[in-house]
Amino acid sequence: MRTRRIAAGLSAATAVSLLLAACGGGAEDDGATTGTLDFYTNKAAWEPDFEELNATSESGADITLDTTGYSDADQYDAFIRQSFRTDKSPGLFTWQTGPSLAELVDEGLIAETSDIWDKAVDEGWITEDMRDAYTFDGKQYCVPMNVAYWVMYYNKNIFEEQGLEEPTTWAELDAIAEQLSGEGITPYYQTSTLFTFPWFQQLVAGTDPELYNGLATGEVEYTDPRIVAIMETWRDQQEAGWFSDAGSTVDPAVGLKQGDYAMINFGSFFNGSLDGAGMVSGEDYDMFVIPAVNPALETTPVAVESGPLCVAENSSQKTLGLSYSEWWMSPDAQTAWSEARGDVAFNPQATVADPMLEELGTTVTGDGFERYDRYYEATPTPILTVALEQFGAFIANPGDPLPYLETIQAEADKYWADQE
Amino acid sequence: MTSDKTPTVPYRREKDQYRWSALGFIAPGVLLVAVLLYLPLLWTTFISLTDYNGLGDPEFIGFDNYAEMLDDPQFLSSVLNTLLWVGGTLLVPVGIGLGVALLTWNLKGGIWLRLPFLIPYAVSGIGVGVIWSFILGSGGALDQALGAFGVADTPRWLVDAPLNTVVMILATAWQGVGVNALLFTIGLQSIPREPLEAAKMDGANGFRLFRSILWPMLRPLTAVVVGLSIVASLKTFDIVQGMTKGGPGGASETLALTMYKETFVNSDYGLGSAIAVFLTVVTLVASILYLRQQLSSKNGV
Repeated sequence: MRTRRIAAGLSAATAVSLLLAACGGGAEDDGATTGTLDFYTNKAAWEPDFEELNATSESGADITLDTTGYSDADQYDAFIRQSFRTDKSPGLFTWQTGPSLAELVDEGLIAETSDIWDKAVDEGWITEDMRDAYTFDGKQYCVPMNVAYWVMYYNKNIFEEQGLEEPTTWAELDAIAEQLSGEGITPYYQTSTLFTFPWFQQLVAGTDPELYNGLATGEVEYTDPRIVAIMETWRDQQEAGWFSDAGSTVDPAVGLKQGDYAMINFGSFFNGSLDGAGMVSGEDYDMFVIPAVNPALETTPVAVESGPLCVAENSSQKTLGLSYSEWWMSPDAQTAWSEARGDVAFNPQATVADPMLEELGTTVTGDGFERYDRYYEATPTPILTVALEQFGAFIANPGDPLPYLETIQAEADKYWADQE
Repeated sequence: MTSDKTPTVPYRREKDQYRWSALGFIAPGVLLVAVLLYLPLLWTTFISLTDYNGLGDPEFIGFDNYAEMLDDPQFLSSVLNTLLWVGGTLLVPVGIGLGVALLTWNLKGGIWLRLPFLIPYAVSGIGVGVIWSFILGSGGALDQALGAFGVADTPRWLVDAPLNTVVMILATAWQGVGVNALLFTIGLQSIPREPLEAAKMDGANGFRLFRSILWPMLRPLTAVVVGLSIVASLKTFDIVQGMTKGGPGGASETLALTMYKETFVNSDYGLGSAIAVFLTVVTLVASILYLRQQLSSKNGV
């Protein structure tokens, strides 16, 4: 009797799971090119900016975004991954470039955008080199939602009081840090959680861009003597008191405003935060492109972060999502977006509201500069997770860098072995 | 089947008559339990034996995830931190809760002394984490307060291990003391008057009274409170996520955080599920062993 009951229970459970499995698998594209497009993003804070853009997209493309914002990146990630198994896969969603996008493309989950890219490049809406991060096996997927350049923000009042000018060489930057710390002012911001990588990225790419790329492809080991030497430089700067307290919970923008530190290495989306903290662009704060560590480099490397807008291959709104993507690349859309978001625009024909960002956009896309992918997107996720933690531990307890690097390399070895 | 011992023919017939309708009545309940409770457990166990990144189909790899889990030094450190949480929450929130209950249970107006301890219980764990990270962060409220007393060289509360786990346990205590005190008070108040008065007549007081009378008579309740505390501490997540995110460098990570990280940050659903299964087994075994031992009749008074 008992076994029969168990058998009945199991068969019921199996029936239910089969039923659930049958629900998956995507839906037919309804082919609409105008209407309301369901849009998902992990940038919940930008929701008002997307809403603001609706006025322009309604007149420009006759498409209205219905935005659902997630504020937790991990939760969002899991949601999107699972949505491909249902008939509710998103018509438009934000994602990250690099290995996480490659993973989705490999599974055939993302709609191709090669035609949109060809048109945009032909029209001069976007520079050719932006294509790389969106190209897999010669085809393009997704379009850039935003682009940010990683630069050094500084508190203008502190610089003026100390009689400092924006540096043009690494030696000048070091001299500034030395002078500031001599005056009892902490030169740089740092944190031991999540954003632990920028200084490492800056030091490695600024010393040798090939070394930096080698880390991302697995050709260079984290325990390479050149990397160890760079970490030692970082540690010496830590010991010289050049960095802010890693355990502080003060908002980075507020910290720069109150002068807890004079400089902060951040993406160009940081203007929005600083404006929000009550600082005036160009008056209270300004920015400069960080000079290369190695003066022999012909071009100055600048870290670029670009977040994609993607369309799911099996979404019922695929055509609608692609129509929006095409409109998104246009100067009208990018001018409106830059205005709404207060960010640099990837489209050179778009008008950027903030003159500081306008200037940055022209500078770093011009001669003498070389753009490289930010560490966060360039590094495969499992290695990144360990590296962010280890840099955090190193920042908390600066000392011999080798144990930290060995831990990262152990994860890297495991990852690259799995890839073969 | 005890009913099989006294089968009577009319009874049998009656039972069969309602057999199908009875099945119909219990079906929704059984189905809900199967879909919401059993199925996820089976599914997680299955996923733990596969390589799965949340896309495509899981690939069966046997016990590789378990081998990888046990081989990872971070996993060991998470186990140790989790054990620290289990011990710490027994010592602090449960211990102080018992203390508060003992000191106030037979006082007039004792409720007003216990009530303030209950207020933090209304805050969610993640809220407690955020509030306490403002207090304990470097240059935070506590450092500023200590600075006002001339203590300049304060410890780095949330940065150095194992100090960070210890202060997080104290933050949990801030929230958990009240409810433990409440439970212990209920237990104390349900102790019959007679043995208490008899003991007092015999001259038992203070610690002697507690050790020989109150503590043994509280045992059934203590078993439940301690059991709940063990289970809650084994799955500690929200406070740590709110305060240190397991950092720096995974130094304050608990098993639940490692599970979350592998599953949702690294999208290694297989490894994350393996940790989940491990955590489930540990929690089940700990609860069963503990409650069996505590609630068995030989421990009765």
